[in-house]
Amino acid sequence: MAAIMNGVLEKSLLENIKKSKLLMVGAGGIGCELLKNLVLTGFTDIELIDLDTIDVSNLNRQFLFRKEHVGKSKAEVAKESALKFNPEAKITAHHDSIFSPEFGLDFFKGFEIVLNALDNRAARNHVNRMCLAADIPLVESGTAGYLGQVTVIKKGSTECYECRPQAPQKTFPGCTIRNTPSEPIHCVVWAKHLFNQLFGENDPDQDVSPDTEDPELTADAGQAALATEAKKDAVGGIERKSTRAWAMDIGYDAQKIFNKLFRDDIKYLLSMETLWKKRRPPQPLDFDCLPGKGEIMNTSAMRDQRVWSVQECADAFTQCLSALKNDLNSRGENGMLVWDKDDHHAMDFVTCVSNIRAHVFGIPLRSKFDIKSMAGNIIPAIATTNAIIAGLIVMESLKILAGNVSKCRQIFLNRVPNDRKRLLVPCVISKPNPKCYVCSEKPECNVILNTTKITIRILQDKILKSHLNMIAPDVEIDDGKGTIIISSEEGETEENNDKLLSDFAISNGTRLKCDDFLQNYSLNINIVHVDKLDKEKEFEVVGDMSQFQPKEDENGKPEGESQTNGNVPSTTKAKPDDDEDDLVLLEDDAEEEISKSPGNLSRKRPAEPSEDESLIKKKKHDVAAGDGEEVIEIS
Amino acid sequence: MDSSESTMDTITQDEAELYDRQIRLWGLDAQRRLRAATVLLIGMKGLGAEVAKNIILSGIKAITLMDPNNIDDEDKMSQFFVSSAAPGQNRAEASVPQARLLNPMVTVTSDTSDPSEKDDNFFLQFDVICVTCSPTSLQCRLDKLCFENKIKFFSGDVFGFYGFTFADLGLHEYLHEEVKMKKPKEGEDNSKQTEETISTKEKIVFTRLEDELKFDWSADTPEMKRKLRQTPSAFFITRVYEEFLEQHGRRPHLKTIEADTKELQNLRIQLLNKLGVPAKVVPEDFFQCGFGELSPVCAIVGGVLAQEVIKAVSQKDAPLNNFFLYNGVNDDGFEAKISL
Repeated sequence: MAAIMNGVLEKSLLENIKKSKLLMVGAGGIGCELLKNLVLTGFTDIELIDLDTIDVSNLNRQFLFRKEHVGKSKAEVAKESALKFNPEAKITAHHDSIFSPEFGLDFFKGFEIVLNALDNRAARNHVNRMCLAADIPLVESGTAGYLGQVTVIKKGSTECYECRPQAPQKTFPGCTIRNTPSEPIHCVVWAKHLFNQLFGENDPDQDVSPDTEDPELTADAGQAALATEAKKDAVGGIERKSTRAWAMDIGYDAQKIFNKLFRDDIKYLLSMETLWKKRRPPQPLDFDCLPGKGEIMNTSAMRDQRVWSVQECADAFTQCLSALKNDLNSRGENGMLVWDKDDHHAMDFVTCVSNIRAHVFGIPLRSKFDIKSMAGNIIPAIATTNAIIAGLIVMESLKILAGNVSKCRQIFLNRVPNDRKRLLVPCVISKPNPKCYVCSEKPECNVILNTTKITIRILQDKILKSHLNMIAPDVEIDDGKGTIIISSEEGETEENNDKLLSDFAISNGTRLKCDDFLQNYSLNINIVHVDKLDKEKEFEVVGDMSQFQPKEDENGKPEGESQTNGNVPSTTKAKPDDDEDDLVLLEDDAEEEISKSPGNLSRKRPAEPSEDESLIKKKKHDVAAGDGEEVIEIS
Repeated sequence: MDSSESTMDTITQDEAELYDRQIRLWGLDAQRRLRAATVLLIGMKGLGAEVAKNIILSGIKAITLMDPNNIDDEDKMSQFFVSSAAPGQNRAEASVPQARLLNPMVTVTSDTSDPSEKDDNFFLQFDVICVTCSPTSLQCRLDKLCFENKIKFFSGDVFGFYGFTFADLGLHEYLHEEVKMKKPKEGEDNSKQTEETISTKEKIVFTRLEDELKFDWSADTPEMKRKLRQTPSAFFITRVYEEFLEQHGRRPHLKTIEADTKELQNLRIQLLNKLGVPAKVVPEDFFQCGFGELSPVCAIVGGVLAQEVIKAVSQKDAPLNNFFLYNGVNDDGFEAKISL
């Protein structure tokens, strides 16, 4: 029973559909719709990979799942549900990570087309590389709210997913988070850090105490020295042990923790007077005397939807602190909690903590509903957008199977039609970037850093794995001797981890040869040594040195964004089919956090607000349309 | 559709959880309006199934699926509620069990009667009427009835790679939102730009389908030439199929592909002559991509149509006024209004 009948499509295309084997990566919002379309269109050999399990918040759009499926594997349930559309289809479901070595080059080579239905950049980068290495066409897609896009990546003929610089992950300077928050998001980030300090994995980058090395303070060395003195007085030696150990010692006493965080630490911050010359100084709070005390709240509105009073926040603080303490204790001696937006107490904790801190700093308070969006990096998602995008994925796939890759387009779904009345905007897909550090002949990039501050560990974890998306890199110095500094074999180079790059005589101009066996990817890195990078950055990766200019034009735009944007109407960016200056939006489905990140494979990493926060840069686009179109850019 | 206070009661915790990702997009008010809406969906082929799926998922109050016809072979390639069901059952009836599973909070019923034989009064119980795979005459009749009774009217169809949707919302009020970047205060870092959303109430007046189709294309003026150029080909292409449907009381079918192809070629010439437009607006080989309902095309057109229903009900965002025209041969998806 072929779903498609003769006469609907050309015979040869129909034959190709019947015999083609497809790989679908992702069985979420786009994936459910896509699987349905593929099965109905007559594809009968489909493999499906998704690591995720079903959550109740998926059910408004991921129509292959129902309430009784919550907690089960998306891939498995999607397969079972889709088989009802055509019981004769052969669907193989993998409840697994796409980063798994099981899905190597040979696996990818077994397919005619790979279809991405992903929600995060790390996995997209990885599949991009696998498809380039295997030379298999990839249909890439993404949605965010009303917006969506589809494009086709074919080695040698189109740009790849990584041809254009990706907007960096949105991060905030440590001193903004620790000393001078000015927006709700700063308080939310701080609250999540506090959660990890109290209950989770200790990460020195997530310190929540006042930061005495704030650049604003170091302008005055004397002041800083004074501040250091003051610190000792103010916190009475608390700083010497970890926040976690201290909290355990006092039995997670809500009043004590509250008063330390929101009274004593704030008083201490106030002593750094330079900070408050041009800012509203924070106002310390005392647990026993809070705004909203004794008031009866209007409880008719939903708890999640209304903004709690400070007193309510403190009450919630007491409650969830105790609940989280019990949860922690139940996990044994070295147990820890991982923050999860869907965990009631963890979410309450971040809501009340960030609101109390917001109050202290005179920042508007937010509802739990709103804070959940920020803390959980939630991208809104609806069935219709996913359905449209999944339909377009199949339309492009049909062109590939008909041998018409050159007719493939990058198609954008707009929220409202553009000035040419297009709701769907097809654009010519750009040619490969000859300097792309992924798909060019000899991939190469520059990494700007201070070789006397960066360790091998940082090179491996933050630069190669996290930023450059390698899975298990091998690195040798191109010094004629082939000194190996990082090996993907366990136990071979661990002793190097805490050494500095300069310990290996790596300096300005040194070339590193990096290899990732799984991705079949080799990259040459040129080290550019600088003493100091701005904005507290540890390093910067630049694909093409001509793009790297001193940041005199620093206007807060993330690196790369200006390029992406600036290119939009010009010829280097996706070009509208008929020379209209259509607006081109870039986005990313990016639902939820990076549950499928490589971090899950190699090293446990708590879900961080890394991924989607940066992706969903809504902006008013000032192109001709001028209709307030929302634009979201990926990368 | 009346969104009076009585229907604006609170969303439950269960609903908030289920609809979380869309409430974050269109807000609680829109969700409250959705849960009060009753929809009649006529035509349960591939496009109907897509529309039903999408609006049931969105959380309307109730939907009636109406189709007098039985499942046939073509349904295998796009009607996923019944794609593996045995031919012979009524399409609407057979769709209900699967449709219900999509969202237990929505009341899903079926009606196997022929909509053209239904009394006018029957239609007045609905807030929205959406007509698919039905002849133009029925679309026009129901559109007029809807307009007179302040019911939101939609229609649409898919033929192979082509599809259209039409909306007549009468006099429609909606909330328009615009996100603007707030200029940073003096002395502040530029990176501290924040967004603010400005909401305004807008009004829009729609025209009837009949008036759109009566449009006189015959004037030999530069303006008309421009209009012809700007009108998406999918408009004229889908009109040929609509003409077939009107004249023969059925859609072109793969079983009769040869005869139907000839008839489509005839109708192309006839219709374009009647409209007074040059034949080239519809490519000669258009019929090669117009048989059956292609699943991805149903998904695209059904996605747009359902989103328009959601917009109309939630009274949020500017609706498409009034055609949406999709041509999968060249990836075009346009909004168009014929009578301007």
